[in-house]
Amino acid sequence: MDTVHLFDMASQQARWLSVRQTAVANNIANANTPGYRAVDVQPFRQILENSAMVQSVTHPSHIRAAGFSSAVTRIETDGSPASTSSSTVKLENELVKSGEVAHAYELNTAIVKAFHRMVMMTVKT
Amino acid sequence: MDPLSVALKVAASGLDAQSKRLLVVSENMANAQSTSTVSGGDPYQRKIISFAGELDRASGANPVRVNGVFRDRTAFPVEFDPGNRAADASGYVKLPNVNMLVEMADMREANRSYEANLQVVKQARKLISMTIDLLRAGS
Amino acid sequence: MIDPVLLSGIVRTTDPSPISSTREAVSATPGFADMVADISNDAAGSIRSAESLSLQALQGEASAREVVDAVMSAERSLQTAIAIRDKIVTAYLEISRMSI
Repeated sequence: MDTVHLFDMASQQARWLSVRQTAVANNIANANTPGYRAVDVQPFRQILENSAMVQSVTHPSHIRAAGFSSAVTRIETDGSPASTSSSTVKLENELVKSGEVAHAYELNTAIVKAFHRMVMMTVKT
Repeated sequence: MDPLSVALKVAASGLDAQSKRLLVVSENMANAQSTSTVSGGDPYQRKIISFAGELDRASGANPVRVNGVFRDRTAFPVEFDPGNRAADASGYVKLPNVNMLVEMADMREANRSYEANLQVVKQARKLISMTIDLLRAGS
Repeated sequence: MIDPVLLSGIVRTTDPSPISSTREAVSATPGFADMVADISNDAAGSIRSAESLSLQALQGEASAREVVDAVMSAERSLQTAIAIRDKIVTAYLEISRMSI
């Protein structure tokens, strides 16, 4: 089974998802902070592509953790700049993102659990 | 630091800030009618809370913090009520610069923000728990 | 004679070649060997497809239901293949214990 690649990918996605959760938490906490600009993370696929280019010498499924802290980028929401008395955060959007993170994380852990189980089944005598 | 724990901490700071905000709003509402005890004196002056963000680049944490509670310097509305203890020589009373509608709206928003932060706390906890669960025996 | 070591190799789905050597080794009972090979092929195939669908899901390209169905199907085939392997091993051991 080429499950090594699968487990690796699941780890990377899990890390990306938790970074995104932090971005959402930052946004929600600062929803009323004057001048705060909402942030989000780069799409997962983009991170994979970027690190694939950097890591082409080593095995492509090895993505370094360092790439993730730089994955958080500032997203300008509909171009309207944050005034000095409010932030650009829209709570509904943040809650939607939060839901996406939860859904993806649940699927991720379920996949890992299932494949782990299957590998253990074949390894046991 | 584990991003999920960072998220938890940040959300906790949000809860703290919003509850302080609610405190200020309720103080304003409670004192919306509080005029001075002396003739011609100033009434209750509306309070405003101010938030600021703190950025920790290493962990990516951006918690919120209360910057301070300030006095609203909007002029006091004035009403003609010579019988009032606070009336000045011409019979005018200064009233608190609190607008109930504004305070109610602020309260609603503070509640909403509080709930949103609470959601993040619950979710971060759930995700951490899910991760640890992977190691548990059984399904 | 069915070689249990070779057969346990069947359900390790990394390399399909043990299956073909089993076919050659057991020409005496081709029907049974074919069935066993089919079941392990089935397991290998459904595991591969579950893996690729899961990889897609992790990158956000497959629906949860598809993944869940594929993984459950893989588990079923795998469990069946393992059960058969175990039965065969047990049978072999019993037979080898029989006094001639």
